[in-house]
Amino acid sequence: MPKVRPLTKSALSGQPEESPAGSRQVLRAPKAAPWREILPVLPPVLKEIILNLPAEVLEQLEEIRLRQGKPLIIGLPGEDRLVAPNGTLAKDGTLAYLTTADDIQRAVQLVSGCSLYAFEEELKNGYITLPGGHRVGLAGKAVVEKGRVKTLKFISGLNIRISREVNNIAEPLLPYLLDRQARSVCHTLIFSPPRCGKTTLLRDLVRQISNGIPGLNFPGLTVGLVDERSELAGCCRGVPQRDVGIRTDVLDGCPKAEGMIMLLRSMAPQVIATDEIGSREDVAALEEVFNAGVKVIVTVHGSSLAELAARPSLNYLFNLKVIERYVLLGRSRGIGTVEEIIDGKTMKPLKKGLA
Amino acid sequence: MFKLMGSLVIILGCGLLGMLVARNYSLRPADLRSLQTALQMLETEINYAATPLAEALRSLAARCEKRVRPLFEYVLAELRDTPGCTAHEAWERALKRFYPQTALLKSDLVILSNLGKVLGTSDRQDQTRHLRLAIEQTGAEITRAQNEAARHVKLWNYLGFLGGLVIVLLLS
Repeated sequence: MPKVRPLTKSALSGQPEESPAGSRQVLRAPKAAPWREILPVLPPVLKEIILNLPAEVLEQLEEIRLRQGKPLIIGLPGEDRLVAPNGTLAKDGTLAYLTTADDIQRAVQLVSGCSLYAFEEELKNGYITLPGGHRVGLAGKAVVEKGRVKTLKFISGLNIRISREVNNIAEPLLPYLLDRQARSVCHTLIFSPPRCGKTTLLRDLVRQISNGIPGLNFPGLTVGLVDERSELAGCCRGVPQRDVGIRTDVLDGCPKAEGMIMLLRSMAPQVIATDEIGSREDVAALEEVFNAGVKVIVTVHGSSLAELAARPSLNYLFNLKVIERYVLLGRSRGIGTVEEIIDGKTMKPLKKGLA
Repeated sequence: MFKLMGSLVIILGCGLLGMLVARNYSLRPADLRSLQTALQMLETEINYAATPLAEALRSLAARCEKRVRPLFEYVLAELRDTPGCTAHEAWERALKRFYPQTALLKSDLVILSNLGKVLGTSDRQDQTRHLRLAIEQTGAEITRAQNEAARHVKLWNYLGFLGGLVIVLLLS
């Protein structure tokens, strides 16, 4: 049962949430549809349009894109569609609702809870995480100081991405990744092109490993999660909004390399998990984690092992020969299809086309 | 006998009226000062703690002078009760409700209104700059209000009674 606190107006404004009398102990309200959680950050005009969309479209909604003076576009699995002012899907740009400057300004204000100044770090990275783990990407004019992006101003484009918790998608994969004799997991690298469900899979893996899997007689392991982009645990003020398991410590917004070392020293994890490694520092930190005897689960962007090996830092990682399982994801049967599991020792596929 | 009582009522009435006007003059510097302190607190909250606006306003409402508290409470209420409302709108509406309860002038309102336009819409530096400006402007208004108070408070206190006296003398 996915548990996510619905994004309420009060959560946005930082107001303590009022629970109905007598249920103060209930911290997590029953889950609303994920797309409902982003409604409070939409300006009233857009909210109405979105609410008028057909129910089946709303159920599949992946993202809402606002660009100043351009048609309102929603992202559905595998395609995007223009939206007309009356909430129907428009055939071409002339019929679509054109996002106004006011819509953008309002959306920015609502996303930041009228406190843009409190999101300096987030603006530097170009996105803000909402309660519930949804992300809002921002584009505009970058203000550069000493060669580094200081902040964004004149924000003119927003991409509101609805994050969905898909529990148990790691289930078919688990037997291949667990080392049941040693009561541990394999060093695992998950790779795929963008938007194939790496993050979702990693989150579910972490959750299951951390909770333990009674069916496989696998006890829970202490997991350290470095969540640089606040995507995995979807932390809001340091508290994970996503279910990442009961033995998971999350370092939110922390640079991966530094975070892995910090967790290694401070939280004594048995497994360290992080998203989208790639830089030299990441690999150096990973090496240290390997040396400490801590298991690693990471994800990387890339569509084939050869492509990954072309990146110097990853090539170095491959040459260490420590990764025990490579998992390739694809979309051949929907997002998150496990296309291939490759054994790190023999470099032979263990299994192809796992559902 | 009736004449005497009537005259007394007129003198007292006019005197009280005068004192009321005088009170307004003496309240304005006090209100402005409380406002200035509150804005300084807001600046600290935003600049040093980067506290989200709603939280900052709540802590302001808890700590600031009683007479300016409604402003922040109104803003919070607006933000909470109107979905999709921006800080600027909430601030503007709150000001409209708050203004009649104070001794502030239209010129003071303009300072606050200008601040509201940018509240929460830019980075810390910019917010601090705008807040500092508002604080400075309030400071200037305080000096002006004090000068005016010094001149007018005494004047109106006497003027009321004396005016009443004149009316009584004219009538008799």
